[in-house]
Amino acid sequence: MDLSSPASPVPAQAGIGLRLPHQAQVMSERPRAAWFEVHPENYMANAQALSELEQIAAHYPLSLHAVGLSLGSAEGIDEGHLERLKFLIRRLSPALVSDHLSWSVTGGRYLPDLLPLPYTEEALRLVTRNVSAVQEALGRTILVENPSTYLQFAGPAMSEPEFMAELSRVSGCGVLLDVNNVYVSASNQQLEPGRVLGEWCRALAAKSVAEIHLAGHALLEAGDGAPLRIDDHGDHVCAPVWALYEQTLAHFGPRPTLIEWDTRLPGLEVLQAEAALAQERLDECQRRAYDRAI
Amino acid sequence: MTVPSELSLGALQARIATALMAAEPAGQRLPPDWFGGAREGSIGLRVHRNTVLSALSHALRLSYVAVDRLVGEDFFDRMAVGYARSAPPAAPQLDDYGEGFAEFVAGFPGTEKLPYLSELARLDWQIAELSRASDDADGGACIEMAGGVRLQFAAPLRTYRSTYAVGALRAAILEEDLKEIERAGGAPGEYHHALWRSASGVNVRSLSESSARFLAAVLAGADGAAALSAAAGAQQSAEQIASALASEILPAGFVSIGKARVPERSEPN
Repeated sequence: MDLSSPASPVPAQAGIGLRLPHQAQVMSERPRAAWFEVHPENYMANAQALSELEQIAAHYPLSLHAVGLSLGSAEGIDEGHLERLKFLIRRLSPALVSDHLSWSVTGGRYLPDLLPLPYTEEALRLVTRNVSAVQEALGRTILVENPSTYLQFAGPAMSEPEFMAELSRVSGCGVLLDVNNVYVSASNQQLEPGRVLGEWCRALAAKSVAEIHLAGHALLEAGDGAPLRIDDHGDHVCAPVWALYEQTLAHFGPRPTLIEWDTRLPGLEVLQAEAALAQERLDECQRRAYDRAI
Repeated sequence: MTVPSELSLGALQARIATALMAAEPAGQRLPPDWFGGAREGSIGLRVHRNTVLSALSHALRLSYVAVDRLVGEDFFDRMAVGYARSAPPAAPQLDDYGEGFAEFVAGFPGTEKLPYLSELARLDWQIAELSRASDDADGGACIEMAGGVRLQFAAPLRTYRSTYAVGALRAAILEEDLKEIERAGGAPGEYHHALWRSASGVNVRSLSESSARFLAAVLAGADGAAALSAAAGAQQSAEQIASALASEILPAGFVSIGKARVPERSEPN
């Protein structure tokens, strides 16, 4: 199974997260954008929005970035949600489909957040089983993203990069490497982000990394007096995350890169400008690869 | 120390979920030695709790627009969090989360002076549902009246009955017309509304009882004669019914008037 649908592949260029408030503008103006990514959950019970998205998908490569599969849920995948996702995939023919290394469903309750997993052998078996089931049902490979983490479980376990690498190796899934989440998670645990990214780079097989996410985050003060970074997708990409992105490109090469912005949503032109900054770095990476080749 | 080895992943997730949704501090705590790293686990749990409850409150706010405007952000969040704790969503699809919120807010502490709140919430929900509904591929209901008149109704279209003038109240709230809010939120009675979606969004129009009965009958599949009979059940004179239909149904934005189709004549062999 390929990571990207050959019909309308997502290019190794900078794309934009498409949110409902911008949809009408995209439909009417057909702005410059290499590709768009949406949350499929926003379209599962909104026929009007889905109809509009279909028109957009006719003109741009599209990626579906789910938040509700709950790949880490001990009770398995919600069949109803999987069916709704299948329906959308049939309607939209997305080039990429992804979700997160996290859970949100337990005991008949859906908690709308990407909740943390302990990186244990038990969790690895379970997530591998869930990811394989999803890929089997969808008839395609999916990407799994590293979420931002705000706590760690004590006890013997793998590192997150090791866990993700093993998951990809055994299940065949791809990896969506969220560089902002690497930064947020490392910072929150008072680790050096560059060193943590280095662990990701060493752990992951290059061919498994099929997409990169970039986003802004909020900086708060936690109860213990130390700063706490919250992955709220509500700001520009900060300078340290751009630096990590350059480190990522230098290691893995150009990859489809998405600018995520979900809260305090600015005008579309701001997202385009942010994507242009990512594109500059992608272009530079391409140039260096070309220079090395000749 | 670690998460107890005898605690399965499923049991761990259940404990975390319970702690995140608990209202009381005692219920929100998990054993601190389950967590490692540089930060206390309680900090991370607080982040996740805030994210979950904020997301559910936001989802409800998107559907209950007028209620939110009426009671204000902080009070709405209090009601929303209370509802979310009592009835968390069962599926990762928040667009249609919160159908029971209207019932939940009835009698919510602090809303004693807003006896119409639950009905207003129900109207908000109806409007939210209509805004998301797919266009009816077959078009709306269509009936033929005496005299060769054909009425084509919009889709989606529905009626809504309330004991307060929540249609006018909702409009006043969205326009921040305090005088009209006070007037419309006055004495209870019997109020009927038509709700339909057009290119400009979801519309609300007040109807008399006879018009509402007529429309409800049409939407239930009645033909013109049966719908008129239903309107007559409003115990008004024929003139009153005719006047109501002429002034409320025919010029309404949810119906278009045309000529009845003439059946095709088959040629003799």
